[in-house]
Amino acid sequence: MPEFLLGSFHDLNLIEMAQIIMLGFIGGVLSGFIGSGGAFFMTPGMMNLGIPGNIAVASNITHKFGKAMIGARRHSEMGHVDTKLATFMLITAAVGISLAVWVMKLMGAMDKEGGTGAGANLYISVVFVVVLAIVSISMLRDIMRSRKAEDSRPSQKIVNFLGRLHLPPMINFSVADVKVSLWIILICGLATGYLAGTIGVGGFIGVPAMIYVFGVSAQVAAGTELFLAQFMGAWGALNYGLQGMVDLRLTMLLFLGSLVGIHLGAYGTKVVREVIIRLVTSCIILLCVVSRAINMPVYLRQLGLLEYNPGLDSRFAMASKALLYASGIGGASIIMFFVLKAYLHRRQVQASLLVSPEKAPAT
Amino acid sequence: MQIVCISRGTFAGGKNLAEQLASQLGYDCLSREELMDAATGAGIAVGKLEMAVAHRRPMSEQLDRERRRYTSFVTSTICERALTQSLVYHGRTAHLSLPGVTNVLRIRTIQNPERRVEWVMQRLHLSREKARRYNEQVDEDRRRWVRTLYNIDWEDPAHYDTVINLSHMSVENAASSLVSMAQLPEFQVTPATHRVIEELRLASRCGLARGADPHTGERSVTGKADCGRGSVTYLPRQQQKARSIPDVLHEIDGVRELLCTMATTSLLWVQQCFDPKCASLAQILEIAGKWNAAVELVQLEEGPGKPPGEVEMDVDSRGGLQDVTKNGGILDDGSQEDVECPDEDLKHTRARLIAAGRAGGVRIMSGDARTLLESLDRTAPYSLIVVGDVFMSKVDSVRKRLSREMVSYLSDHLRVPVIGADELKTQYLFGPAQWLRLLAYGAIAALMFGLVFTHQTEVLTFMSQEGTGHRILSTAALLAFVPAFAYVYGNFGRYLLRLFRFE
Repeated sequence: MPEFLLGSFHDLNLIEMAQIIMLGFIGGVLSGFIGSGGAFFMTPGMMNLGIPGNIAVASNITHKFGKAMIGARRHSEMGHVDTKLATFMLITAAVGISLAVWVMKLMGAMDKEGGTGAGANLYISVVFVVVLAIVSISMLRDIMRSRKAEDSRPSQKIVNFLGRLHLPPMINFSVADVKVSLWIILICGLATGYLAGTIGVGGFIGVPAMIYVFGVSAQVAAGTELFLAQFMGAWGALNYGLQGMVDLRLTMLLFLGSLVGIHLGAYGTKVVREVIIRLVTSCIILLCVVSRAINMPVYLRQLGLLEYNPGLDSRFAMASKALLYASGIGGASIIMFFVLKAYLHRRQVQASLLVSPEKAPAT
Repeated sequence: MQIVCISRGTFAGGKNLAEQLASQLGYDCLSREELMDAATGAGIAVGKLEMAVAHRRPMSEQLDRERRRYTSFVTSTICERALTQSLVYHGRTAHLSLPGVTNVLRIRTIQNPERRVEWVMQRLHLSREKARRYNEQVDEDRRRWVRTLYNIDWEDPAHYDTVINLSHMSVENAASSLVSMAQLPEFQVTPATHRVIEELRLASRCGLARGADPHTGERSVTGKADCGRGSVTYLPRQQQKARSIPDVLHEIDGVRELLCTMATTSLLWVQQCFDPKCASLAQILEIAGKWNAAVELVQLEEGPGKPPGEVEMDVDSRGGLQDVTKNGGILDDGSQEDVECPDEDLKHTRARLIAAGRAGGVRIMSGDARTLLESLDRTAPYSLIVVGDVFMSKVDSVRKRLSREMVSYLSDHLRVPVIGADELKTQYLFGPAQWLRLLAYGAIAALMFGLVFTHQTEVLTFMSQEGTGHRILSTAALLAFVPAFAYVYGNFGRYLLRLFRFE
C-alpha cells in the first residue's frame, strides 16, 4: 500500500496501537497538568514508533483540533475565553501555520529525493530541540532562582522590557482585561501558529505569551489558547489534509488516550504545589529534548552530513525511545501518584474541625 | 461612626476634596499613603505587590498571600478607626474592603483630562505628550490594582453613591454639597452597621494573624467571621500546617468559635430556608465530596417584595435589605437574638456539613441577587454557585421566574458557573439518564472507531488520493469526522470519569 499518505503508510499492529493510545494518555495527562502542550511527547513518541515526522505532526495537529474544541467549550462556560484576543492572534497564527506547512512540504520533497524521510525529521527535531530547550532551561533557572530568593515568581525580564514599549495602536481586550499593542499580538500569533504547524506545540508559546507579555491571567490565557487552538488545529488539519498527510487512525488512537488523560492531569494541578508543577514540567520537557537530540545523528547520517556505522542507528533509536518513554511515563506517574493519593485521601479525611471554648473539637 | 470613602484619580483633586470635607465635617482624614506606610511597617510587602500589579506579573502564591494580608490590613485599620471616630478616607476603592457596611458614603472624583495633563506638566515638568501618557499609565495601574484586589471595574459608577466632577466646581463648594449628602439617613451609623463593622474587624484581624504566622500564612482559600464564629478553609496540601490555625487565632478577642475546613475549592449554596433532610443537601454533599470542596451557606431571606434591579433598599443589620421608602431611611436593627441564633434547620444543615467535613461558613442576609452579588468576595475561589429555593412567599410561577433571573444575573456578573438546585442532578451527578448517555456515547464512539479500523485501506485511500477535487472532499470529511468523534468520545470519557466520581 505504498500510495497511501504520500508513500509513508505505516501498518499498525495491536502493540503499536496500544503504544499510541498510551502516548495519547500520557500526553493528555501532561497537557492537563501543564495547561498546554502534550504534543511535545506525542509527536516524537510516534516518530520513535517509525511513523514519519510529517505524518505524526499532521495527525497530531488534527487531534489537537478536536481536543481543543472540547476544552474551549468547557472554558467558555467558565468565562475564561477572550474571543477578541483569540481572533487577533488567529490572523497571524493562520499565516504561521501555512508557512510551517509550506516548509514541511519542501522538506517532504527533499525526503523523496533522499528516500529516507530524514529531511523533514531533522527539521522538526531541530525546531523541537531549540524551542523546548529554551523553554525548559528557562523554567529550571526560574525555579533555582526562586528557591534562593524564596520567591516563586517566574522571570520578568521580557515583561519588563515589553512593558516599556508603547507601540500604537493599542487594543483593549475586555474579558482578559488588558491593553496590548497590535504588533506584539501579531508577532506572538505568528510564532504560535508556526510552532503549532511545525511541531504541534503552539501552546508553549501562546500561553506564556499571553501571561507574560500581554498580562492575561493564567485561567483566561489557558481558555483563550484553547479557543485559538481549535481554529489553528482546524487550519492545520485543513492544510495537512489537502496535502494528504493526515492518518485518521493515529488521530483516533490519540483521542482514546488523551481525552481521558487530560481530565486526570487537570485534577493534578489542584493537589500539587505550584513549584512542583513547574519542576515536573521542565524536567519532562528537558528529557524529551535530549531524547530528540539523541536521534538527530541518524537523520544527519541519512542525509549524508555525518558518517558512522549504520548499525549504530538502532542504538540511537533505542536510547531515544527509552529516554522519551522514561520522561513521559515518569512524569505522568508522578502526576498520577498525586492524583490517586488525593482521590483516595479525600474519602478518608473528615475535613472540618470545629473549635470553641465550650466544646471539644468535633469530627 | 460615619465613614466617607473618596476614590480619587491622579491629579483629580480628590485629596484636596477629602481634606476639605473632613475639615467641614470635623472628621479625621486618612489617606492611602498613610495606610500603605502603616502596612509596610507591619511587615506587609505592599511595594512589591504594587510593582507586581503594575508590571502585570502573575499572582504567585507568595504575592497572593501579601494581597490577602494587605486587604485584611485595610479593612482592619478602617474598621478600627471607624469604631471610635468618624472618618474621611481618600485613596482608591477602600469601600470595597467594607462589604455589607451600608452606611459608607462612596464618592468618586473625576477631573477634565486636559486639566490633569496641565497639572502633571507643571508639577513633574513633563512635556504634554509625556504628561498624557503618565496619566494614562497611572490610571491603568489603578484599574489593574482594583481588578487584582477586588476583581471589579474601578471606573464603573455603579460602585459609587456619587461621582463629583471637579472641572467646574471648586473644592470648597463640592465639599459643602457632600456635607449635605453625608447628613442623609442612609449614611448614618446604626447599631446594626456598627455590628457589621465589628464583625469585619474581627474577620480581618483573623486574616492578619493568619497571614503573619509562618505556619498559617500559606492558607489559600477564605476566612470569614459571623457573630464571633470564624471559618477558615485551607488546601489539602497545607493540612499539617493548618493544625496551628486555632492556636494562631486563639488569642484574638471576639473569636468564640472557629471552623477549619480542608478544601480544594468552595461551593456557594444560596437558599431561603435550609432543610437538613432535603435532597439538594445530599446532592451538594456528593458534589462537594467529589470536588473536595467546602460548602458555604447563604440564607437569603426575602427583601420586601421587589425584583432585582427595581429596589430602593438598603442593607440591614446582617447585610440584607430593607425597604427604606416607607421609613424615611431609618433602618431597623434585627434583634441580637435573631443574629446569634439562626433557625434550627440552618443549624442542623450546618451540623451535617461539619459532620461530612464540608462546612465552609454560614451567612444570613435578606434581599435579592444584587445584594448577594455585592456581599460576595469576587476573588474567592468558588467553583459553583447553587441557587436553591428562594422567593418562597411568591406563587410557584413567579418564584421560578425570579429564581431563573437570579441565576442569570449572577452568571452575567461572575466568572463562575451558576445553576439552580434542580439542575444539580443532570449537570453534576450520575443517575439513570447519565447511564443512558454514557452507553449511547460509548456505542457511537465504538461504532465510529470500528468503522475506521475495519476499513483502513478504503479510509486511507480516500484520505490520500491524488486530485484537487478529491483532496478537498476528503479534507471536508476529515474536518467533519474529527470533531464529531472528539465530541462523542469526549462526552463518553466525561461521563465515565463522573461515574467514578473523578472530576
